Amino acid sequence: MTLTDTPAPTPPSPEPPAARPIRWKEIVAVWLVLTAITVVGDLVVFPRVMPRSASTTMHLTIVTVVLFSVTAAPVGSLVYAGAVYALRHWRAGSGDEPPPEGPPYRKHNQLSIAWLSISAMLAVFLLVWGLGALAADNAVAQKATMTVDATGQQWLWTFHYPGTKVTTETPYLPVGRTVTFDVTSLDVTHSFWIVQMGAKIDANPGEVTTVSVTPTRIGDFDVRCAELCGLYHAFMTTQIHVVSASQYQSWLQTQELSA
Amino acid sequence: MTTTMPTAPAPAQPAHRGSAGGGLMRRLNFGTGVLAGVALAAVAWLLSHSLLDSAGTFFQDQVATITFIGWVVGFLLGIGAFNGPINWFRGRDLTHDDELYLAGKDLGPRRYWKFCTDHKVVGVQYFVMTMIVLFAGGVLAMLIRIQLARPGDHFVNPQIYNAFIGMHGILMIVGLIVAVSGPFGNFIMPIMIGARDMAFPRLNALSFWLLVAAAVPLLAVFAVGGISDGWSTYAPLSVQDHVGMDAFAVGVTTFIISTTIAGVNMVTTFITMRTKGMKLDRVPIFTWGVTTSAALGLYAMPFFAVALTLLLSDRALGTSFYLSFGGGTDWLWENLFWLMGHPEVYVILLPAVGAVLEIATVFARKPLFGYNVVVGGMIGIVGLSTIVWAHHMFTTGWAPALNGPFMLTTELISIPTGVVFLALLGTIWQGRLWTRLPLLYVFGFVWNFIIGGVTGIYLSDVPVDNQMHGTMFVVAHFHYVFVGSVLFGALGAVAFWFPKMTGKYLDERMGRVAFWLVFAGVQVTFISMFISGLMGMQRRVSSYAHAMATTNFISTIGAFVIMAGMIIEAYTIVTSWRSGREAGRNPWRSKTLEWQVPTPVPLENFEVPPVVTSDPYGYGEAAPPLEAPAGHPDATPVTVGAAAKEELQS
Ligand SMILES: [Cu+2]
Ligand SMILES: [Cu+2]
Repeated sequence: MTLTDTPAPTPPSPEPPAARPIRWKEIVAVWLVLTAITVVGDLVVFPRVMPRSASTTMHLTIVTVVLFSVTAAPVGSLVYAGAVYALRHWRAGSGDEPPPEGPPYRKHNQLSIAWLSISAMLAVFLLVWGLGALAADNAVAQKATMTVDATGQQWLWTFHYPGTKVTTETPYLPVGRTVTFDVTSLDVTHSFWIVQMGAKIDANPGEVTTVSVTPTRIGDFDVRCAELCGLYHAFMTTQIHVVSASQYQSWLQTQELSA
Repeated sequence: MTTTMPTAPAPAQPAHRGSAGGGLMRRLNFGTGVLAGVALAAVAWLLSHSLLDSAGTFFQDQVATITFIGWVVGFLLGIGAFNGPINWFRGRDLTHDDELYLAGKDLGPRRYWKFCTDHKVVGVQYFVMTMIVLFAGGVLAMLIRIQLARPGDHFVNPQIYNAFIGMHGILMIVGLIVAVSGPFGNFIMPIMIGARDMAFPRLNALSFWLLVAAAVPLLAVFAVGGISDGWSTYAPLSVQDHVGMDAFAVGVTTFIISTTIAGVNMVTTFITMRTKGMKLDRVPIFTWGVTTSAALGLYAMPFFAVALTLLLSDRALGTSFYLSFGGGTDWLWENLFWLMGHPEVYVILLPAVGAVLEIATVFARKPLFGYNVVVGGMIGIVGLSTIVWAHHMFTTGWAPALNGPFMLTTELISIPTGVVFLALLGTIWQGRLWTRLPLLYVFGFVWNFIIGGVTGIYLSDVPVDNQMHGTMFVVAHFHYVFVGSVLFGALGAVAFWFPKMTGKYLDERMGRVAFWLVFAGVQVTFISMFISGLMGMQRRVSSYAHAMATTNFISTIGAFVIMAGMIIEAYTIVTSWRSGREAGRNPWRSKTLEWQVPTPVPLENFEVPPVVTSDPYGYGEAAPPLEAPAGHPDATPVTVGAAAKEELQS
C-alpha cells in the first residue's frame, strides 16, 4: 500500500535489511533440552496420574496417551525453541519509535511444503495408530462370554444379570473374562464409565448401547456417570468388584438365593 | 468500476416529507427500548395468561416463551430497530438527513445508546458489551471454582451449582463469539479494506441490539429458576427443566439471529466493499480471519437455532423430537448441537488467529510469512470443520461405524491449523521484535495454543476419548484454546487497536501486569485441571473424590489469579480510555489502512476512497512507486489514485 505516513515519502532504502547469522547450535540445544524435559515428564506423569489399568482397554489407552505425548514433544518443543531464540536474540526495543524494518521474507515454498508434509505424516501416524487401537477395542467385544445389563436413571445404576434373577447396584465380575454391558437409561442421557477400565458408553433412553471390557486384575473399581444428568450427577457413582472366578460364582449363587 | 464503492457523497434526496417518523422516532434509545421491552413482555404475559389454558401441562412454558419473545420484540421496537421498515410501509423513505442522524452525526456520546448505523459506533458498543458479558461469565467461573476448591458441596447446593456452570458456559461462548469480530470486525475491518461503512449499516446496528436483547433473557435465567443442563443443554434433560430453559432457548435463538445477521453483513462487506486495488491477495490477514469465521458461522449457528426451536416445541407444544417414548431420540439433539458446536470452535478461533498474525507482522517489522498458505489454511479449516462434529459423539453409541471416519477428518484438521504456527514463526523469524504489549500476547498465544492443540489430538483418538470424554481433561483442553488462545488473541487485539478506537495508548505497564497474571493463572489453573481429568474427575460435577482435592484447590487458586489479571486489565482499559497517553494517528507505524486515517476516525472514514497498489506488509521492502501524488495529508493520508478522483468528479 502506498502510504504517506510522513509528509514526504521516505526514499526507498537502497539495501534491503540484512538477515543476521543464526546460531543453529543454540536452537538445536534448546530444542533437545525442551524435548527431553517433556518426554521425561510424559513418561513420569501420565502413568502416575492416570488410574492404574484394570483392563486390556485401559492398558492400551495409557500406552496411546504416552506415545502421543512423546510424539508431540519434539514438535511442540521445536515451535517453543524458535520462539525462545527469537525472544533472546531479536528483541529490538520497546520505546515509542519502532525498530528498523526486518528482512522481507514473504514465503519459502520448500519450507511450507516440508511443514505441510511433516504435519500430514504425523496425522497419518496418529490415524493409523488410532485405527489399530480402535480395532483392538472392537475385537474385545468378539471375545465376550457374558453380558450384564446396566441401566441408568436419575441418579443410580442398576445391574441385571440376564438369565438370572440377580439385580444389584454393586456388581461383581470374574477377572479375565470378557463382559459386554448392555447399557440403557430410564430417563435422561447418562454415561456409563468404568474409570480404571477406560470403558465408556452413553446410556440413552429408548436405546441399548454396548461396551465390552476384559478386567485384568482383582479389585474395586469406580463407575461414574460422565454425562450431566441433573441435580445429583456428581453422586451417580458405584463400584464394580472384580473377583476370582470361584468367588464370582459363589457371589452369584448367594444373590440368586436371596433374590 | 470493478468494485462497488460509495462514491457519490450525496445521494439524490427523496422528496422531503418531514424527517421520517417525525421527532418521536429520533427520541428512541436504549431507555425507550427497555421500557417498550418490559411493556410488551407484560402484555404478552397477561395475554397468554388470559388466553391459554392454565390447567394445561405446558402452560408455564408457553407463558415463559411468549413473554420472553415479547421482551425481544418490544425492545427492538422501542430502540427503533424497525424504523426503516415501518417508514417504508408508510410509503416514506429515510432522507439523507435521516441517514446521517442514524449514523450518529453530531450526536456526541448519546449515539452509543442509540440504534446507530456507524460501524465504528457499533464496534465500540460491541467492545463494551463483550467486556460486560465476559465479566459476568468470569464471576460465574469464580463461583464454580469456589465450589470446587474442596469436595463435598460446601458452598452451594447442586441445583445452584448447575445453574452456575450452564450460565458460565453460554455467557463465555456468546462473549467469545463476539470478542474479536464484534469490536474489531466492525470498527476496524471496513477501514482496513477501504470502505466507508459496512455493506448493510442498519443490519449492523440490528445485530448489536439483538445481542443486547438476547442478554436479558439469558441473565433472567437465574431469576426464573436457573438451568441444570450445562450450556450444551442435552435433551431430554433440558425438556424436563424449569422455565429457565425457556428463557435460555429464547435468549440463545435471539443471539443466533444476531450472529447470522452480522455474518451476512461481514461476508458481503468483504466481498463487495473492498476499495480499488484491494485484491483478495492484498487484504490484511485479519479480514480473512473475520470473514472465514463469519462465513462458517452462517453455516453452523442455524443448527443450534433449529435444535432450540424443536426443544421449545417439545417443552411448550407437547411434541417429542427428543423424547424416546414419543419416537424421538437424544441423538437428534446431540447431532444438531455438535453440527453447530464444532464449527463454532473455529468461528471463535479464526478472528483471533487473524488478529495475532496481524500483530505479529507489525511488531516483528516484517511481512506476513506465507500469506497464501495461511489463507488456504483458514479456508481449509472452514471446510473441514463442517465434517468433524461427531468426534463429540464417539461415546454416545450413535454410529460406531463412523468413529473411524470422524477420527480421520479430525486429525486432518490439524494440518491447516498447524499452518498458523508456520506463519507465526516465519513472521517472527529474523524480525526486529518491537516488544510492546501486543507482541507479548502473540508469544502467549503461541505458548498456549500449542498446549491446547496437542491435547486436542488425544481427544481425536477414539480409544483415548473413551476414557477422557466428559472429564475435566476436555474442560482443560478447550480452556487452553478459548482462554489461552482466543482470549489472548482478543486481548492482543485490544492492546493493538486501542489507540485507533480511543486515540490513547493502552497503559503499557498495567497492561503487562495483567498479561503476566492471566498467563500464569492459565498455566496453573488448567495444567492442574488436566491432571484432575486424567485422574478421573468428570466435568460438570458439584463434588468429586477426595483424591482430586489438591489439583482442584490449585486450579481454584489459578482461577483467582486469572480474575485478578482480568480486573487489572479492565481497570487499565477504563483508565487508559479516560486519561491515557495520546497515541496519534499511527503509533505502531503499521501499513494497513485503518492507521492511515485520522484518529478519531471521521464519520465516513475516507474523504475520498483510497486506491491500493500492494498488500500492507511491505516491511523491509523498497516502497512501491507512487501511483499518484498524495492527496490531503491530514484528511486522506492514503494516496489517492487518479482514477478514483476522476470517478468522484464525474
Ligand atoms: Cu447420570
Ligand atoms: Cu469438535
